[in-house]
Amino acid sequence: MEPFFIRYRNPLVLLVILAAQIIGLAVQVRRTPSGRDTLDPRDGPGVRLIRLWAEGLVAPPEQLFHGSKLGAMNLWQDYIDLHNVSQQNKDLQKTVDRLRLEQASLLEDAKEGQRLQTLLGFQQKYIYKTVAAQAIGTSGSDQARVFYLDKGTADGLDRDMAVITPDGIVGKVRDVFLHTAQVLAINDQTSGAGVILETTRTRGILRGNAAGQAQIVGILADQRIKPGEKVLTAGGDQIFPRGLAVGVVQKIVNDPDRDGFIDIIITPAAHIDRLDEVLVITSTAARFSPEAQQDMATSDALKGAEAAAIRDQKKASEIMAERLPGLTDPNAPAANPATAAAPVPGQPASATPAPAAPPVPKVLPTQRPDRYSPGSAAEVPQSTSPAPKPKLDKPASAPGAKSSSTTPKKAPGSGQPGTPRRNP
Amino acid sequence: MDVLGPDYRRDLEIRRYPILVYALVPLASLVLQAWLPRLLHGYVWFDLPLVITVYFALGRRSPIQGTVMGTTMGLFEDALSNHAIGVNGISKTVCGFLASSVGVRIDVENRTIRLVVIFLLSLLSSAIFVFIYRILLGMDLDWNWWTEAFKSVGNSLIALVLFPLLDNMQVRD
Repeated sequence: MEPFFIRYRNPLVLLVILAAQIIGLAVQVRRTPSGRDTLDPRDGPGVRLIRLWAEGLVAPPEQLFHGSKLGAMNLWQDYIDLHNVSQQNKDLQKTVDRLRLEQASLLEDAKEGQRLQTLLGFQQKYIYKTVAAQAIGTSGSDQARVFYLDKGTADGLDRDMAVITPDGIVGKVRDVFLHTAQVLAINDQTSGAGVILETTRTRGILRGNAAGQAQIVGILADQRIKPGEKVLTAGGDQIFPRGLAVGVVQKIVNDPDRDGFIDIIITPAAHIDRLDEVLVITSTAARFSPEAQQDMATSDALKGAEAAAIRDQKKASEIMAERLPGLTDPNAPAANPATAAAPVPGQPASATPAPAAPPVPKVLPTQRPDRYSPGSAAEVPQSTSPAPKPKLDKPASAPGAKSSSTTPKKAPGSGQPGTPRRNP
Repeated sequence: MDVLGPDYRRDLEIRRYPILVYALVPLASLVLQAWLPRLLHGYVWFDLPLVITVYFALGRRSPIQGTVMGTTMGLFEDALSNHAIGVNGISKTVCGFLASSVGVRIDVENRTIRLVVIFLLSLLSSAIFVFIYRILLGMDLDWNWWTEAFKSVGNSLIALVLFPLLDNMQVRD
């Protein structure tokens, strides 16, 4: 008679393997204080060993594939497909210049904010150092929203570091190996991030739902929250710095578990399914990084140079306007600089271009004067037109002011009653 | 029943492959399963490790080998995700065992039967996955059977192309 274990060895092996895996599953799951079962975010040594083996086996070929793809793309983009690159360069340079000016204008506010935060004892964390990384692979499952980066501990990455793109936050480093790291996306069910709604200032916790959507859970019902409102990081989770873009409110649904509470479905700002390059925030600090400070200094300098360029341009325009033949009297006395620089009452001189009082051209004497000619006896009496003192020029320091060459000149005789005039 | 029942010669035939095929094909399936979704922007309507498990289980016709193959592939899939280790492991263990058990009793040379087997085992794998996640682990999991049906069709289509290619790699006497 065949021994029992020989006869039933196939089902026995199956049962043993299944039992071992079920026991392994039981070890990994824990119950939260709220009574829900969840996976332990910290892998045990045995689990981590299996993940390490799998990563060591799969990551090198993935990096090879990804490197080959990148190489082919770079070859095409850097050496073959150079159409319109020059124009793009110019456009980008213009954008950089514009952004630098905007940054310079915000610089003082930021510095003041830092000073106030220091006074209040509040430490705002700024992104101090980042590491650029490429997404090389996924989990291979549509139930696990994780992906792999080509950087690991050797590049300074560690667990729980924030992963972002210029568009918005992406996730956090869940596990890190020597040359790769596993990132948990914000739309995974086990993720979590502190967020705040930009307008209503409602705070909440962002996590993924079972359908793979990012949602803010457990919010008290609030009629002010509308689709389209921006969502930012709140900075309280010790992972994401404050103020990073998260997404916009897509829709609001009732919390299925609690009455009076809502869940807010978010459209992530970052394209989580189409990631190529991301930034891992490896360090945050209560001050700006040297790179940021250098950028701001450049912006400041550029702002000064830009203002000088605008002044030069304006001066050249004025000279050109003076030399143009026609309505302008070259022998007329120069405008009083004090009058020219005088700001419009009630408005700051540096910020107001005073468009309400355009400069009046100096009218040349007419060859055959009639009753409509300026300075003739038939002119409307001065007493009936309490015209203000003519503003001959605008202050040169006013940014954005139109130069005199662009100011439309009035034809003789088209003046309305009360229009200030200058006699020849 | 002639189609379903193998003849005596085929019943004894166990497919053999070069050792490199045993090593590289499962590895390639794991790598492609992790890499292709990036190109397809998250549309994962296939399960290459399951297809490879079923292929080798059908060809080897050894339930123990099929079981071990399924366990290994499933555990590696779990290890690459943030799931508990064992969810995919259990489902693919069962699929590997069943595929090899079925392979002893049916004509695995017939393409139609292969496609039906892979389709049914894909659905079974999904069902076991849901069972473990929702019942054993008691965790929330969104599920759409249409998606799983599409995935099963995707697996069948991949098998339609891949199985003849792998057949050419077997060692012939």
